[in-house]
Amino acid sequence: MSRSFAMPAGAVVAVRDVSLTIEAADHVAITGPSGCGKSTLLHLLGCVDAPTSGSLLFEGEDVASMNDAARSRIRLTRIGFVFQRFFLLPMLTAAENVDLPQSEAGVGRAERRRRTTELLEYVGLSARADHRPSQLSGGEMQRVAIARALANRPRLLLADEPTGELDQATGAQIAALLDRVNADGTAMVIVTHDAELAARARRVVGMRDGTIQL
Amino acid sequence: MNTLPFAVRTLRRQPARAALGILGVAAVGALLFDMLLLSRGLVLSMQDALDRGGFDIRITATASLPGSGPRIPDATTVARTAASLPQVDAAVALRFGTGRVATGEHRPAVAFSLFGAEPSRLRPWTILRGRDLPLRSDARVGEILVNDVLARTLHLEPGAPLTLRPSCRRAAEALPPVTVRVAGVARFPFDTVDQGTAAMNRLDFAGACGEPQGDEADVILVSAAAGSDADAARNALARALPALAIATNAQLVGRLEESGFSYFRQISTVLATVTMTFGLLLITVLLTVSVNQRLGTIAALRAIGFSRRRVVADVIVESVLMVGIGGTLSLPLGFALAQWLDRILKRMPGLPEELHFFVFEPRALVLHASLLAATAVVAALYPVRLVSRLPIAATLRNEIVS
Amino acid sequence: MLASAARFDAQPRVAADLPAILISRQLATARGLHADDVVRLAADPSGGRAREFRVAGIYEPIPDPMRINASKHEARLHLPDLLALTADAGDPLALENVDAIDIAIEPKADADAYARQLAGRVPGLVAQPVRAVPGEAGLFVVLERFHLAIAIVTIVASTVFLLALTVMLVDERRETVGVLRLIGLTSRRILGQMFAEGLVIAGAGALFGIALALASEGLINRYFQWRYDTALVFVRITPDVIWQSLAIAVPLGVAGSVLASWALLRRGALILVRR
Repeated sequence: MSRSFAMPAGAVVAVRDVSLTIEAADHVAITGPSGCGKSTLLHLLGCVDAPTSGSLLFEGEDVASMNDAARSRIRLTRIGFVFQRFFLLPMLTAAENVDLPQSEAGVGRAERRRRTTELLEYVGLSARADHRPSQLSGGEMQRVAIARALANRPRLLLADEPTGELDQATGAQIAALLDRVNADGTAMVIVTHDAELAARARRVVGMRDGTIQL
Repeated sequence: MNTLPFAVRTLRRQPARAALGILGVAAVGALLFDMLLLSRGLVLSMQDALDRGGFDIRITATASLPGSGPRIPDATTVARTAASLPQVDAAVALRFGTGRVATGEHRPAVAFSLFGAEPSRLRPWTILRGRDLPLRSDARVGEILVNDVLARTLHLEPGAPLTLRPSCRRAAEALPPVTVRVAGVARFPFDTVDQGTAAMNRLDFAGACGEPQGDEADVILVSAAAGSDADAARNALARALPALAIATNAQLVGRLEESGFSYFRQISTVLATVTMTFGLLLITVLLTVSVNQRLGTIAALRAIGFSRRRVVADVIVESVLMVGIGGTLSLPLGFALAQWLDRILKRMPGLPEELHFFVFEPRALVLHASLLAATAVVAALYPVRLVSRLPIAATLRNEIVS
Repeated sequence: MLASAARFDAQPRVAADLPAILISRQLATARGLHADDVVRLAADPSGGRAREFRVAGIYEPIPDPMRINASKHEARLHLPDLLALTADAGDPLALENVDAIDIAIEPKADADAYARQLAGRVPGLVAQPVRAVPGEAGLFVVLERFHLAIAIVTIVASTVFLLALTVMLVDERRETVGVLRLIGLTSRRILGQMFAEGLVIAGAGALFGIALALASEGLINRYFQWRYDTALVFVRITPDVIWQSLAIAVPLGVAGSVLASWALLRRGALILVRR
């Protein structure tokens, strides 16, 4: 598939003729210099964006031909997203941030409560459940973001520079957590500049100028 | 978390902004509410005053307002004809004039409204002290009722004599003074705060005007019979008295609404429109800036699976919440403001004390709520457009870059 | 008064002999009358004792706010013609009665003193300067107070609106302000910057508001002049009004901006830069 953007100076091809298959429980790292199209590829994989040409199949379904509501549903129930800047809702507590996608997916209150407790324990933040993001460190916020991404038991977790705003030690903690998520059966694709984080992946895909380097 | 608690949290995140937005809506909503009260306030107040007077219909010589057009000739016959109809309970003929009482050589005379009323069991006044005018009057000029203002000004009590100089035509005249006895102190409909009013038997009034055989009236008040409504009585009167103008209270109020009261309806419409535009701008700007500051978060919510419909609903509910809370606060504020504005307007010279400009009716409340709800929805349209068309990937990218 | 107004096609020589009257524009339009038309006027609503007149011209009634709702269907007659038309035949003094006498005094004469002198010389006469007609003045004073009360409420609501806007605008620059503080700019320096910006924005906003008011002045006047069929001017933006608007709006805008900035600057620089 390809993705290009119309610019005043002419079309910019961010992703060019990329073919990529992500298997169940796969662990893929995408690396490359700034502006090579890594994040664009991640957005395509996450059904946040649609390819200009080519096809995108998620568990056999053609995502490109789906309407926005259907793609939203896939993102909500089958894909988890972790962002470089966390994007936690500042007015909600850690627990409420984890609860949010479950509530949107229609999960019952009792089940949501149970799952939220389970996830916060999983990421080691049970004691900070009632704290707002402004009261958490960078590493803690990213762990809450990972818990939120796992809320609806996604088949695929996508992380865009998950350690980009963290110091090395905290980044290592996050990397270990992501390993554990993958080991528990969730496929993972991570876009990263961090060589150590990339080295943990089973497969490393290098990108340059919008194409995959073999 | 569904949209309502989400919206509450969003507002609480920026308490100063939310509080100011709500206060702004409250102020604007209060003014809007008052303009809705003003648009029909005087009409409702006049209607109420007319209905409480006990009479349902007014007969005049022409379609002019009572007292401003020609008089009804042979008023006694006309009143009897009216009263004889089965749809009519009673008919009272009134003739208007003015009176003056000299208070001393170097002091100005006290002027007051004076009218003559047909003797009838139904009277267009309420006795406060003393007794009423007798049903029958003998040939001598006898008794008078005065209102509280006149009683206080001239230190009158029931039984006291009063020498007055009447004026009965619209042109200047110089009639001799007459001496009467105060029968009682009464409250008259449409009394003003500072204007004296007095009433005599209509025939005594004509005698004081130098017209002992005079039988004219400015207006004949008619009350509908029990079991008959004003419209039926009006129609019966129109058939019996085709040469005269017959108007129910509602029709009279309609004429006033077209003439003297229209200014307040116009100004209330203009101010209500300006107020709503103002409120619309306020909420639109608040929401738009709030959304613009949260674009990254909104894009992230869309990325984790929030549907377009959900994020749009969040914006609309936020608008409705702000306007809803502000609108609720605007009601007590509006009532208080209405009292203040009513006090200002009631100082108009010659305005009857019982008339009010700001009168509550449930319709105003329904209209107020509807207009505010429409404002909330329309104000959210632009920020909703921003949110629904948000390019998720580009926004996330911009957040990283910025 | 104009119980019947009908055109009467007469020979020009006969029409020219008839007494002349002026009629209002509104009456002319309503009855389809033109100059030199012949009309019948009667004081009796039934049309009795009608007399013929020639329409010498059509005039615009002087706008009178006290008579805004009154019918503008008017006619001006020579006094003897009016008296002849309206006099009671049985009253020998009917031709000597008028309702009022308008007097134009010398430009520097004292109207109050003259009115008092006149009233003193003719007992029973009521003489008063035109500008101080009781009742009318009271009515417009009350309306002025009412409009002022509405203006006060509008200013209060505008101030709340303004504060909300300035809080948002200042908050948008929270990080920038935090960075400036971190690199060494004093709060006073930043506040001065905010003051200058507030002055420009408030000034521009006030001028825009005045331009909007000037534009809507014409619209409002045209609407109400159409609605009441009058030449009365309802809204007039005078230089005084402009200066008052500027004097209120600009300081309020600047105060809002400075107040919001001051509240922001009270927080620590590190808190400001943190998302």
